[in-house]
Amino acid sequence: MKCEKVEILDAKTKDKLCFLDKVRPPPRVCVHPQWYPARQSIRLDPKGKSLKDEDVLQQLPVGTTATFYFRDLGAQISWVTVFLTEYTGPLIIYLLFYFRVPFIYAPKYDFTTSKHWVVHLACMCHSFHYVKRLLETLFVHRFSHGTMPLRNIFKNCTYYWGFAAWMAYYINHPLYTPPMYGEQQVTIALMIFLFCQIGNFSIHIALRNLRPPGSKTRKIPYPTKNPFTWVFLLVSCPNYTYELGSWLGFTMMTQCLPVAFFTFVGFVQMTVWAKGKHRSYLKEFRDYPTLRSPILPFIL
Amino acid sequence: MAAHAATGAKTATNDVSHKRRKGPGALATVYLVIYNVVMTAGWLVIAVGLVRSYLAKGSYHGLYYSIEKPLKFFQTGAVLEVGIVPSSVVLTGFQVMSRVFLTWAVTHSVREVQNEDSVLLFVVAWTITEIIRYSFYTFSLLNHLPYLIKWARYTLFIVLYPMGVTGELLTIYSALPYVQKTGLYSITLPNKYNFSFDYHTFLILTMISYIPLFPQLYFHMMRQRKKVLGHLEEHSKNE
Repeated sequence: MKCEKVEILDAKTKDKLCFLDKVRPPPRVCVHPQWYPARQSIRLDPKGKSLKDEDVLQQLPVGTTATFYFRDLGAQISWVTVFLTEYTGPLIIYLLFYFRVPFIYAPKYDFTTSKHWVVHLACMCHSFHYVKRLLETLFVHRFSHGTMPLRNIFKNCTYYWGFAAWMAYYINHPLYTPPMYGEQQVTIALMIFLFCQIGNFSIHIALRNLRPPGSKTRKIPYPTKNPFTWVFLLVSCPNYTYELGSWLGFTMMTQCLPVAFFTFVGFVQMTVWAKGKHRSYLKEFRDYPTLRSPILPFIL
Repeated sequence: MAAHAATGAKTATNDVSHKRRKGPGALATVYLVIYNVVMTAGWLVIAVGLVRSYLAKGSYHGLYYSIEKPLKFFQTGAVLEVGIVPSSVVLTGFQVMSRVFLTWAVTHSVREVQNEDSVLLFVVAWTITEIIRYSFYTFSLLNHLPYLIKWARYTLFIVLYPMGVTGELLTIYSALPYVQKTGLYSITLPNKYNFSFDYHTFLILTMISYIPLFPQLYFHMMRQRKKVLGHLEEHSKNE
């Protein structure tokens, strides 16, 4: 049954917004001029999921007259913009505390440096982490959605920038107390941190290579020759596993309770994301490996 | 045409399953009724305690001590209702948390504020509100809600809410100097966890948070009022 007519209704009010009398391939629909495509959601059911850009009209389960529902997703912002903004903040903010810029600590400490070498190390690790994230955003990640709602940038930046300031305040404080077990503790923590940073990066590269440039295809990720990716045997989202590991390392390195809080909150959020991703893998791929857990091998 | 028939059938089944799913089971209803009756009774005890104490003393001062224990008991007991009562979990949870905070972390913890009149202000507001609210839930569960209770629940808040908030804010404010002087609940640097907490600043931030939060809750109740009491003309008064 070839679809010849298309009508688009508002998902909430059911008003008729648009009617196409003769559908000629390939039809491009632009409902309202001021609503750019990224914020338009067109769906078959008012409460259902959005159709994708790649969906073809003739392959959808519609009759000779297709009825679509339109929903305005609200102002959108690109993922790249959000990532760059939310990651640049912590990088700069931490450095402000590290260099003890005026008005943070008592005036006699302005522009002084900490006498503890772990504080310098922590600054290097923290800065390295966010520089890595920025570079990955620019050169590694391939995003399946171009945009997200605008309000997310305020929410996300509050989270990242707020926690960065909170952690940096204590680590760079003149009254900072170095880790209980001294050099041993810091060395082990540093090794954990670096190991997990490399691991996290390896996973990002492996995920990137799953997807040809410009495409939005989804495939099951598998272990590659890189040993850091072998954790794919046990986990669906090892990038989150490694991220947790990195922050546990940083917590151990700095022995700072706010860092532990940040690690915990991040872990909760990443677990939610990992479970969601794991579920969609299971739904999409019939042959998905059963040994895998979402984020922690065998546990979670 | 076929699509319309399909949607028609779908809504029919939705209706049936919706009716089946609506309302708690028999055992849950019994539990809820008992809970709400007990809470109504508890707050009535507090109300009576306040009145008796006032009559005995002949003044409004120091009435807190006469109802301190039941207040702590029944206000803390309210944590059981988060997620159980028909209101939103977020709103209920938040409300209960702020009440428990006022009861324990401010009034109980800072002895010096217990004589303040502001304490009486919020205790009276809470007492009247809770007596009405819990009787509202009780009668609703028994499907026999007197219009007066419904009206009271959605009308008296207009005065009681600001009254309670005023009492709460004044109480927190009067606690500030004592908290600062004694360093209550505060942690200072240096310490091995590299963490600090200033309860005095925290209380100030709490007071500031009332500014965005209170109007939201207040207007939510206003909207609920319009929804529930709005069709006064349609319904008959014998509920």
